[in-house]
Amino acid sequence: MAISTGQSARDDFRDIEQSPYGKPGEVISDTAAPTGTLTVTDESVLDSGEHQMTLNMGPQHPSTHGVMRVVLKLDGEVITDCDPVIGYLHRGTEKLGEAHRYAQITPWTDRTDYVAAPLNNLGYILAVEKLCGVEAPERAQYWRVIMAELARIASHLVWLGTHALDIGALSMSLYCFREREMILDIFESFCGARLTTNMMEIGGFSRPIPDGLVEQIRNFIRLFPGRQQEYSDLLTANPIWMARTKGVGIISPEAAISYSLTGACLRGSGINYDVRKAEPYLVYDRLDFEVPLGEHGDTFDRYLVRMEEMRQALRLVEQALDHVEAMDTPMMAYESPYVIPPHKGTMTTAEDMQRHFIWTIKGFNPPVGEVWQTIEQSKGELGYYIVSDGGPMPYRFRIRTPDFVNLQVLPHMAQGALLADVVALIGTIDIVLGSVDR
Amino acid sequence: MGLIDDRFDKNVFTTSMDFLFNWGRRQSLWWLQFGLACCAIEMISASMSRWDLPERWGMLFRASPRQADLMIVAGTVTKKMAPIVRTLYDQMPEPKWVISMGSCANVGGPYDTYAVVQGVDQVVPVDIYVPGCPPTPEALYYGILQLQEKIIRYDTMARKHGVDAAEEQRRADRTEVMAELRA
Amino acid sequence: MSDGNARETHNLNQEGTVGTGPADTSAGGSPATNEDARSTDARQVEALAPELDLADWSREAYFADDLERHPAVVLLNATLPDAILDIIRFRNETTIHVRPELYREVCRTLRDDPRVAMNFLTDLTAVDMLRLRTSPRFDVVAQLYSLPNRVRLRVKAGIDDGQAVPSLVPLWNGANWMEREAYDMFGIIFDGHPNLRRMLLSDDWDEGHPLRKDYPLRGWKEFPVYNTERTVPRLRTRWTGRGV
Repeated sequence: MAISTGQSARDDFRDIEQSPYGKPGEVISDTAAPTGTLTVTDESVLDSGEHQMTLNMGPQHPSTHGVMRVVLKLDGEVITDCDPVIGYLHRGTEKLGEAHRYAQITPWTDRTDYVAAPLNNLGYILAVEKLCGVEAPERAQYWRVIMAELARIASHLVWLGTHALDIGALSMSLYCFREREMILDIFESFCGARLTTNMMEIGGFSRPIPDGLVEQIRNFIRLFPGRQQEYSDLLTANPIWMARTKGVGIISPEAAISYSLTGACLRGSGINYDVRKAEPYLVYDRLDFEVPLGEHGDTFDRYLVRMEEMRQALRLVEQALDHVEAMDTPMMAYESPYVIPPHKGTMTTAEDMQRHFIWTIKGFNPPVGEVWQTIEQSKGELGYYIVSDGGPMPYRFRIRTPDFVNLQVLPHMAQGALLADVVALIGTIDIVLGSVDR
Repeated sequence: MGLIDDRFDKNVFTTSMDFLFNWGRRQSLWWLQFGLACCAIEMISASMSRWDLPERWGMLFRASPRQADLMIVAGTVTKKMAPIVRTLYDQMPEPKWVISMGSCANVGGPYDTYAVVQGVDQVVPVDIYVPGCPPTPEALYYGILQLQEKIIRYDTMARKHGVDAAEEQRRADRTEVMAELRA
Repeated sequence: MSDGNARETHNLNQEGTVGTGPADTSAGGSPATNEDARSTDARQVEALAPELDLADWSREAYFADDLERHPAVVLLNATLPDAILDIIRFRNETTIHVRPELYREVCRTLRDDPRVAMNFLTDLTAVDMLRLRTSPRFDVVAQLYSLPNRVRLRVKAGIDDGQAVPSLVPLWNGANWMEREAYDMFGIIFDGHPNLRRMLLSDDWDEGHPLRKDYPLRGWKEFPVYNTERTVPRLRTRWTGRGV
């Protein structure tokens, strides 16, 4: 796999150009009128709107990945207009964040994007650490990388399973969730929770790494590449998959920038922007990984980009694990006043006990100011914007979720597409409605 | 007719139609494929390869409420979503059951805010509450087992003669059947 | 019906979108940096301020201690002299407060100038400054990012309640939903937005704008039990926050 920065992710798939469905990247819907399409020739009839039909899809539709509603205007089978209606899962997370202390907010960040909860924790914790000027010890940072990249793989597995399920490959979801359970087992060993992990803490990790966790992760690293090869074998050269994804939902690079897309939606169009490379946080600048880029900006390219991201994430986990295995340094920056005191000190010394009491009951007062911290989440750029007035609670707590911004490209992609492609388009954006609506 | 004398003694037993129907209903719950929030992911996990919940209990996901008789409210019910949940419930045919999965659907959970309905029981009647945030698939399993226990008790008689009479009848039926089975 | 007005002319089946693009964009650049793609505004900017060629456009200038050396500040001082009200640096992040009526022009200048090239709108939101100052009440905050230079910039415009701020949708399509959300949550009017209506809350929401500081966390109204007027009292009555 000769994928490197700035190179197309599709180079290895030249041999499938001979498929009966045309060459890769060829616009299928452009070459001929699709069968079953109602073709209206009389312009006056079209203008009167007689052949327009409005179709409501959702919010209970199984392919909208949650509770999203899409109002479609159809001319036969061709979509003329598309209006996504969101907000059915708006729960007021930002308002809640403004009414709770800094250390209390982490569980709500789990529940914004609940298929990649450690990544959300990480973004929030990094924002608070930036605000307070705390830096976690090196060992904790490596563990954060491991957990974040595992969460990225888990999130991509959910995406792949549901996306393929929508398009018609039911068995993919069974395979993907099988491997995802292994990652959730690792999370459960590490922090005790499967889905809503609440894993990251301000200043590092206060609890020791459980025995056997490294072996568990090593097992996963050994097993997963073969399993991922199975997915590739099932999908990448599959004629049905190619017919449903190639040339569908093309986003040009200009449109991708104009719509503020991030993540695989942006990189699938060939724009090289990955926060881990552009503004390295944690220890990503010391680790070796590559950013896959697409070429045509269609659904198939985004599929290839995400598949390659999983391989790179596994590389990152392996490297970080190699680094961290020999380390025996502290995991928590206990010297900072913004970090919870050590458990042992709380039980034995009066100072730590008082500090712990105040930290828990009253919280801490960070400096006055405002910070903006982004990380590369599995779906794109996740940003936390915290305005502090010096009090123990954020004055303004803003989550910039990637899929909320990415979703607004759906009308642009859907215009002129076929009705059956809508599920492919929704799947390729990779949305989680808790993250869209917050 | 000596040929069939004593031939079906070991195989046929008499029972009330209610018990038979309920026995069938509880073994083939078709549930509405309908996820709201985080709990939906655990519900999907429960139905996927490791736990295999629907296949094992004769269940089936149906995307249409008209073919479903169990609704699992998996996740936060917001004020914007609540009328739709009620519409889906109204569209389901009788008899129907509701499982409220997760803290959000039970009591609002951690979302004590302006946008969230504090408990789905304000919108639809709930049979089983499964606690947890989110409940693990094992917890959902247990909730469904509890619901099956409840369905076998469910009785059209309860509407006519009251719950106590129905309960009495059910117990009598069951004792009789179990006695015959053991005999 | 939907965001039709904001849609640019990127047709799905347009010739030229297939197979082109990555060759000239993958090397860290973006289409906005191309000579051809540069708009007429940028050329006007260059024509207006030729002396800017002597300024420091290096990456170090973005993080220099002297805030006046920041390239965006240099550029704005030369082209829109009275736009900047304040410059703040905190944790290596630069915030520029600008006049609200020049908000769009500032962003357009920053986007179109090839040397600053803040061509990516990361985020657009608002802050209710009710408890921090008397006037103006809201800050509209845009987080800009420069794909070629890899730097961020925060642009703020302070407005009062009911005052309109120019919309950024003519510059970036991505501003569409973010501004709708800011309208929904804060009630900020964006002048020139094609489709300013409720985004996350339902269309018939009549309780105001939730993220304002004078709006209580639990809202003004309880949700009634189905088919009744009765409401269920909240189980937890403890005051969990600052109240509003």
